[in-house]
Amino acid sequence: MVAVTTNVGRDGKEPGAANVLKLGKAFRYGILGLVGIFFIIPILASARFSFLGNNNTITISAYTQLFSTPQFWSTLFLSVKIGLGTVLLTLALLIPTVVWIHLRVPKLKRVFESISLLPLVIPSVVVTLGVITSFKSLPNIIMGTPVILALEYVILALPYSYRTFDSAVQAIDLKTLVDAGQSLGAGWIKLLRFVVLPNLRSGLLGAAILAFAFCLGEFAVASLLSFTTFPVFLVQVGQVAASQAVALSLIALLFTWMPLAVIIIIFGQRNASSKKKTVSLATTIEQEETTGIA
Amino acid sequence: MASSTNVEDSAQSRTGGASPPSPAGLRPKRGRRRWHNGIGTVPFLVYLGLFLVIPAISVVVTAFQSGAGTFTLSNFNEAVHGVYLKSFINSIQLSFAAAIVATVVGVLASLAVCASSNRIVRALVSSGSAVFANTGGVPLAFSFIATVGNFGVITKLLTDAGFNPYDHGFSLYSVLGLTIVYQYFLIPLMVLIMIPPIEALRKEWVDASSSLGATRAQFWRWVGIPLLAPPILAAFIVLFTDAFAAYATAEALTSGTIALVPIQLGALISGNVLAGQTNLGDALGAGMIAIVLVAGFLYAYVQRKASKWLR
Repeated sequence: MVAVTTNVGRDGKEPGAANVLKLGKAFRYGILGLVGIFFIIPILASARFSFLGNNNTITISAYTQLFSTPQFWSTLFLSVKIGLGTVLLTLALLIPTVVWIHLRVPKLKRVFESISLLPLVIPSVVVTLGVITSFKSLPNIIMGTPVILALEYVILALPYSYRTFDSAVQAIDLKTLVDAGQSLGAGWIKLLRFVVLPNLRSGLLGAAILAFAFCLGEFAVASLLSFTTFPVFLVQVGQVAASQAVALSLIALLFTWMPLAVIIIIFGQRNASSKKKTVSLATTIEQEETTGIA
Repeated sequence: MASSTNVEDSAQSRTGGASPPSPAGLRPKRGRRRWHNGIGTVPFLVYLGLFLVIPAISVVVTAFQSGAGTFTLSNFNEAVHGVYLKSFINSIQLSFAAAIVATVVGVLASLAVCASSNRIVRALVSSGSAVFANTGGVPLAFSFIATVGNFGVITKLLTDAGFNPYDHGFSLYSVLGLTIVYQYFLIPLMVLIMIPPIEALRKEWVDASSSLGATRAQFWRWVGIPLLAPPILAAFIVLFTDAFAAYATAEALTSGTIALVPIQLGALISGNVLAGQTNLGDALGAGMIAIVLVAGFLYAYVQRKASKWLR
């Protein structure tokens, strides 16, 4: 900084604000274009690959064969069931906890945000191993059925779901709402049902979609615990029929991207409208510390 | 990542607030209220303890036990020899290389986005990165197989043009291939992390240096790089751990042909265990936790440095 001030006015080439950050247009679009191509090519190539028949003909047989495989539907159904279970458990855990923290112990907000990132420290393969060693003796209804997957997915999706819901609670004036409700004589159930939750709809939706998308794509835990969920089925298909596997991947990618895109757009608009004008680097870094990981 | 230290602090302060019985008659009301305040968080913490902390601890504890349950270091001895040592080296090399490439490309892309005044480009890149950063796993592996795999579309195009990359040392099913595939979720993650600090740069600091007449080189030398170095380093560590822990993509792409720690551990879990290696997997798991923790502490250190510097 000091050095900058000592060099004042030696060079008048770039007057005006923000000019030092200006990059050449060619450079800018070159970079973005190359990166964009890197991201689009695999999708286009997958689409082409999945429609490719013998002798370069176009065919949709990969898709029709896929849809007529009973395992396609049964594994998809299993993953959806696990996903719904995970979403319900996640919400049952998150709603009371986050609302409680914001109302009663706001000092612990940051602490719990950090705690919610803990699952990132322990790779899911290691969690799986730990589940096997420590829960061996649990009744078969938990360890022998996909229930254990839902129980663990709640944990593994926590870094994403917690943050989303927490920032939604942060965005409303929970304390005033609750005080108002209480002064009108509402009990806790009524407060949650008619005051708190309706105000948190987008946050609930966001957390639910993130947790659900996580469940539909999770492979490591499911395959290591020997449950044939949708992604595990996908790998099995990949070992016998490449074009079907690619077709399936394409479907899976599009189906996870769409809901994600929806919530990102919803949240992006809300953030953009509520964003403060002056952002100091310090606060941004603090935000980044948490958002980045999610 | 920075969480682990905070967690301990908080655990202390919480139990500190709850457990010591206050001297009789002195502020009993306050103590009770504090205790009440914590109670709503108990189900959450119990759940986390049950399904995350206990499994993690059991892995670390078992890593120090022989098959008969006595204390031993032989699991670790085995974990740092032969194929397992190789897998640690491969994993670290792969994650490091992948994170370096993604850091460089990601920073350049974020700079390009932030310098662009086109609103559509910015919105597209930032929401696109958020979506792509969550991509990964099996579908990603298969779409790259369709692209540059043995019979991929691009491989075919290149072969028709007289250049088969597989004849020139390239293979998707190698560490190099994985490095490329990992970029698909690492670069967006980097962009996602770097846009906020670079955006912040634009505002006061850039204005100040411009109005003081700094050239572009001077700006970067004295303002830009010192300000961006800590977030870049922190982001690099996040990318490294992300790549290090990735299992699904590597497994689907290489079906276990490359020795990587998560893959080896997965093989041990699925029962491809040789006699006398009962707790070897736990040692590998403990090793993974150790590496991620080291990265986490580095991250926390860099973050603290950064925020101290800025204050």
